[in-house]
Amino acid sequence: MTTPTTPTTPNTPSTSSTSSTPPAPGAVPARAARRGRPGGRPRDQRVGYLFVAPAVLLFLVFVAGPFVAAVVLSFYSWDLLTEAEFNGLGNFTEMLRDPLLYRALGNTFLFAFASVVTHVVGGLLLAMAVNRTMSRVLSYFVRTALFFPFVISWAAVALLWKYVLDPTFGVVTHYAGEVGITTPDWFTDPDWALPAIIGIDWWHTIGFTFVIMLAGLQTVPKQLVEAARCDGANARQILWHVTLPAMSPTIFFAVVITFIGAFQVFDPVQIITPQGGPDNATLTIVMYLYQKGFQTFQAGYASAVSLLVFAVMLVVTLVQFWGARKWVHHQ
Amino acid sequence: MDLDEPARPSRRRVLRAAGGAAAWLPLASALSSCLTLGVEGSPDGPLEVLYLGDATQQESFNQLFDAFQQAHPDIGINARGIAAGDWGTFANTVSTQIAGGKVPDVIQVATEGQRLFAAKGLMEPLDAYMERDRDLVDAYFADVDPRLREWTVTYGSPDGHTYYIPGGYNTTVLYCNTEVFDAAGVELPEREWTWQEFRAAGERIKERTGAFLIPLGFSFPFVDIMPWLLTNGASTLDEDWARGTFASDAAVEAATFVKGLIDDGLAPKPGGTFDAMGQLRNGNLATLGGGRWPTLDVRRLDLLDRVRIVSWPANARPGSPVGWDGWPILKASRKKEKAWTFLTWLMSREASVFYAENGGSTIPARNSVATAEPFLDQAPPGTELLPEAVTYGTPIPSPERGSEVQDVVTQGWQAAITGTKPVRDALEEANDRLGGLL
Repeated sequence: MTTPTTPTTPNTPSTSSTSSTPPAPGAVPARAARRGRPGGRPRDQRVGYLFVAPAVLLFLVFVAGPFVAAVVLSFYSWDLLTEAEFNGLGNFTEMLRDPLLYRALGNTFLFAFASVVTHVVGGLLLAMAVNRTMSRVLSYFVRTALFFPFVISWAAVALLWKYVLDPTFGVVTHYAGEVGITTPDWFTDPDWALPAIIGIDWWHTIGFTFVIMLAGLQTVPKQLVEAARCDGANARQILWHVTLPAMSPTIFFAVVITFIGAFQVFDPVQIITPQGGPDNATLTIVMYLYQKGFQTFQAGYASAVSLLVFAVMLVVTLVQFWGARKWVHHQ
Repeated sequence: MDLDEPARPSRRRVLRAAGGAAAWLPLASALSSCLTLGVEGSPDGPLEVLYLGDATQQESFNQLFDAFQQAHPDIGINARGIAAGDWGTFANTVSTQIAGGKVPDVIQVATEGQRLFAAKGLMEPLDAYMERDRDLVDAYFADVDPRLREWTVTYGSPDGHTYYIPGGYNTTVLYCNTEVFDAAGVELPEREWTWQEFRAAGERIKERTGAFLIPLGFSFPFVDIMPWLLTNGASTLDEDWARGTFASDAAVEAATFVKGLIDDGLAPKPGGTFDAMGQLRNGNLATLGGGRWPTLDVRRLDLLDRVRIVSWPANARPGSPVGWDGWPILKASRKKEKAWTFLTWLMSREASVFYAENGGSTIPARNSVATAEPFLDQAPPGTELLPEAVTYGTPIPSPERGSEVQDVVTQGWQAAITGTKPVRDALEEANDRLGGLL
């Protein structure tokens, strides 16, 4: 155990580091630093390297390696079956005049935006509801129930919802009909296919956002809430001026993670509406990448699209970090 | 640089560099393989065979391959079944495996992939082998419908060489639950029937039993789309697979007829999870379309005495798509002689009978087997209509960019029959897109 070196009292304002600031946790002793051994003795270093080696190796082979391969392949035309031919920037210029690519990008942004909004708002509301005073047993039951869909595989979730929303025999179709409501053909109507998948995705993954929000909610200092209440703030004012600002780092984390996950959506659309759904209404960018790479054998073009996906996610995430400076409050 | 740095940096750096290089080796190797495709099979070991088949079909295939090993104990065989949902997916999976360096010696290639694989130069020309075993080959083709051989050459040999030995094939017919028809007081046709007779039967069945007439969809063109087009004298592409014909008046009429069956509740709405065989067994469905493969389920569900096969109803003329297996040897194989021995065994009457008896999911290419006991036994009455359909059948259009063509066709048909676009608009839009893929 190490002794905390920073103040833990919430009311104590945080200070920028100065020369008088005690050493941060993990700081190396001066003597070791002088000898250039930040990790301690050489034997310890070797053990440390051995511990990280499997992770580094896996990263190199399954992340860095494929990334470099994708960069190289994006300059080639390759149909998987015959030799690759150098194509220069051909794949990238082709992307500029590919209407289906724009359609896939549009669908993906729509899905990601809807996913971020519904997950963050829904997760926050559910967390606040569960965080209210209730018995521990009930609280754990609700937490488990909300998180449970998240542990089910996408394949099972997709099939389950195909049954539930079946246009002829589905439970929803049946009971909506009982009360005189005609349901749309969820997966064959271009206007409804994407919203239906957004809804299914929400049901499946809201548990994850909920748990993050609940954890964030429980870190809001009670003293701040009490102080606000003593000052006469009502519940809405406490929420807007104390709870949400205090939770802003958590909300920011949820936004970034949800966007990255949503932008790579593939499993539900491929299982529920294969080939891009009605009129390509559910064609997402990763699905399009898969189609190009493994169905039409344009591996070079697919690699170029994969780099576009990477670039979009990088830019959006950087924008999010830039914007976060204006609304995220670090305690 | 710190002066107190230990005096052994070079060794450490060397080790670090070696470790780094080792980590990048798999990547470099994979990338090199990607870009040069320098893959070859092994000269030793068993013959590597890839085929399409789910768990049930794999059982039949394994028995077939076991029989080969009994006939040729000196040739080992390592057969792998790929449980793809359709031939397009199978072709994609095989291509990906080849790209990854896993090159088999022999592949079962359906019509949908024959032109693609042949055009890529992956197959070994079989002409010399066929010439060498001329008697055996002639005896085989004398027992095969001449159309199959002609189509294999026309559509699977872009340069005049022969790359495939045609194996089994499939056509489409209707499997009918006779109890549902009896309960509705509807007579099943002895020979042909028309679309209007089919529809009238459906209306009566729905009225008297509540059962659906037929499941209709869009994702499996061989059954969902092509029979309706062909029985109205239409198709998705012309005879040379060079021009789209998906928006012809006859095609529009076919899609409109199918849409009418859905709109009037004679078929469940497409896009759901309708279990056709289960509902046929339960009496909630009167007919379902298919080739030989539903017979395996009919046997499994013990429905042989409640199911009869009839021809697909026709409007302009009898019609059926035809798809067939081709068995090639891969150019990269280093066991070509063994592979040819395997192909000659597949051509034998012994293999054909064995496969028919053991629940094969295709119609044997040998007429003498397809029209005789081994094939007709343990099958619904009317099974003889399956091989008969090849006489008026049309090869399933499978151009080189078949996967993209199939996507366009299924999306167009989906929009037409579900009513998300006017039928003619949906098919015309799809036909325009087909033009760019041929």
